[in-house]
Amino acid sequence: MRLKSLWKYKYLYLFLFPAIIYYFIFAYIPMYGITLGFKEFQFNKSIWEMPWAGMQYFDQFINYYKFWDLIRNTLFISFLKLLFGFPAALGLALLLNEIRSRWFKRMIQTVSYLPFFVSWVVVMTLFSKILSPNAGPINELKTKWFGGDPIFFIGDPSWFHSIVVLSDVWKHVGWNTIIFLAAISAINPELYEAASMDGARRFQRMWYITLPSIRPIIGIMLILSMGGLMSAGYEQIYLMRQPSNLAVSEILDTYIIHMGLRQGYYSLATVAGMFQGVVSLVIIFAANSISRRASGVSLW
Amino acid sequence: MVYKETLGEKWFTISNYLFLILFGCSTVYLFFYILVLSFNDGIDALKGGIYFWPREFTLANYQTAFGNPNIMSAFRLSVLRAGVGTFLSVLLTSMAAYALLRKDLPGRKYIIFYCFFTTLFSGGIIPLYMLYKEIGLINSIWIYIIPGMYSFFNIIIIRTYFENIPHSLSESARMDGAGDLRIFFQIYLPLSKPVLATIALFVAVAHWNDWVTGAFFVNNPDLIPAATLLQKVLAETSFEANAMQQSMNSDLMAKAVSNTTPEALRMAFVIIVTIPVLCVYPFLQKYFVQGVMIGSIKE
Repeated sequence: MRLKSLWKYKYLYLFLFPAIIYYFIFAYIPMYGITLGFKEFQFNKSIWEMPWAGMQYFDQFINYYKFWDLIRNTLFISFLKLLFGFPAALGLALLLNEIRSRWFKRMIQTVSYLPFFVSWVVVMTLFSKILSPNAGPINELKTKWFGGDPIFFIGDPSWFHSIVVLSDVWKHVGWNTIIFLAAISAINPELYEAASMDGARRFQRMWYITLPSIRPIIGIMLILSMGGLMSAGYEQIYLMRQPSNLAVSEILDTYIIHMGLRQGYYSLATVAGMFQGVVSLVIIFAANSISRRASGVSLW
Repeated sequence: MVYKETLGEKWFTISNYLFLILFGCSTVYLFFYILVLSFNDGIDALKGGIYFWPREFTLANYQTAFGNPNIMSAFRLSVLRAGVGTFLSVLLTSMAAYALLRKDLPGRKYIIFYCFFTTLFSGGIIPLYMLYKEIGLINSIWIYIIPGMYSFFNIIIIRTYFENIPHSLSESARMDGAGDLRIFFQIYLPLSKPVLATIALFVAVAHWNDWVTGAFFVNNPDLIPAATLLQKVLAETSFEANAMQQSMNSDLMAKAVSNTTPEALRMAFVIIVTIPVLCVYPFLQKYFVQGVMIGSIKE
C-alpha cells in the first residue's frame, strides 16, 4: 500500500534521480575523500585502501612556517574586497535609483553588468594592458604629466592589493547592484510620498527610507559573503600570483592548488582544503546566528 | 514629484549623471582599448601612444588567429561543451525543480537539504581531483560536461518560477489524464521560457569562461577549450614580467610571428573570446535581472 502510494510519484523521483546521483558522486564522495588528509597517499590505490597516517599532515600544515601568512593573506584580501566592494555596490545602486531617465539608467546598468560576463582571464588581461609599464595608457599619462619612471603595477607587490580590489570591484559592482535595486524597487512608494509631504529632502528620504527598508537584504548579502571569507576569489589571485608577489598573494586556495595539483603533496593539500571548508562553515553559521540575534535577519 | 528641488539637489543630479557617465565610459574603455590594439599593427603598437583609434590599421591579427589550428580547435571545443553542457544542464535542472515543486512529494525536505548542504561544505579540490582520476574524467571530454551539471541555486530559481505558474493549469491537465511527464514538458517548460533562458545564459557563460577545468584537470592539448588556451597563452607572458622571453617560448603562436606579434595576436584572441558573450547578454538582461531577484529573495 505504502509502495503503491509512492508509485504515484514515479516520474518525480525519476526526475530527481540524476540529481541525487550527481550530488552523491560529485559532492558526498569528495567529502569522504577528505580522509585522504589522514592517510598516506599511494599512487596505485584508492583512498579507501591507503594506510592511515594519523594527524601527521594536519600537524605539518598547522605548523607550516607560512601557515599564518596564508591565513592572513586570505582574510586580508577577502576583507578588503568586502570593505570596498560592498559599499561600492550599495552606493552605485543608490545613485542609479536617483536617476529619472529610464533609458540612461538602463544603459548604465547594461554596461555595468558587462564585466561580470567575462572570465577572470580576460579581466586580468585588460588590467595588465591598461596598467602595462610598456606603452600602457595609465603609465604613459603618468610619465607625461608627472614625469618619473613607469610603474610596474601588476608585478609590484606594493600595488598588489590595490589591483586586486580595483579589478574585483570593477568586475562585480554592477552585478551586485541588481539585488539592492530589486530590494529598493519593492519599497512602497507611498512612504516616499508621505515623506515628501512632510518636507523630507532627497538625502533624507535616502537615509531614512531607502536604507532602512533594504536593511534585511544588506544583512543577508553580508552573511552570504562571510561564507567566502576563506576563499578570497582564487581564480583572480591565481592569475595574479607570481614569484615577485608571493609574500602577499599566496592564499589558502593557491597554496592548495600549488601543493596538491602541481607538486603532488595530496594529503597535505587535502588537509588544507578541509581546514578551509570547516572554518568557512563555522564562520557562516556564526554570522547567521549573530545576525539573527542582533537584527532578526538570517538565512535559515 | 511635485516639490521644488533645492540648489544642492540640482547639483547632486548633475554630478550623479556625470559620475555614472564616467563610470560607464571607463568600464567600456578597458574593452575598447584591447579592441583598438587588436586592430593595430603589432610592431607599431610597441611604440605606445595608441588610446582611442588604431594607428596602423590591420586585420592581420585576426587573420592569423582564425588561421591558427590550435585556436580554432579550442573554439570548437568551447562551443561544443557550452552547447551540450547547457542543454543537458537546463533540462536536468528544470526536471529536478519540477519534482521539488510538489509539496506532497514524500522525502522532499530531505532531498532539498541533501542538495543544499553541498553549497555549505565541500570536500575541496584535491578529493575532487582524486574522484575525477578514479572515475576516468581526467583528460576526458566529459569533465567539461558532467561536473557542472547541477547547481542548487539554479534549481531554486527555476522552482520559484514554476511556483508562479497557476496551479489550476496542471490540475485541469491532470483531470484530462495527463501525467507528470506531459505536464512538465507541455505546460511547465513552454511557460517558463524567460527563466530557462536566464539559466541557459548563466550556464553557457560559465562554460565559456571556465578555464580552471582545462588548466587543472586536463593535460591533453587537443582537449583545451578557448578560455584555458587564452590563460595559457597569457601566462606565457606572465603579465609581461619576462618580456624578453615572451616571443621566444610561445610555441603555440610560433607560426604567427611572421606578420603579427604574439602580443597583438593575444589581443585579437581576447576579443574573439569576449565577443560572443557580449553579443548575447544584453538581450537577456530583463530575464536575468528577474532571475537573480527571484533567487535572492527566496533564498
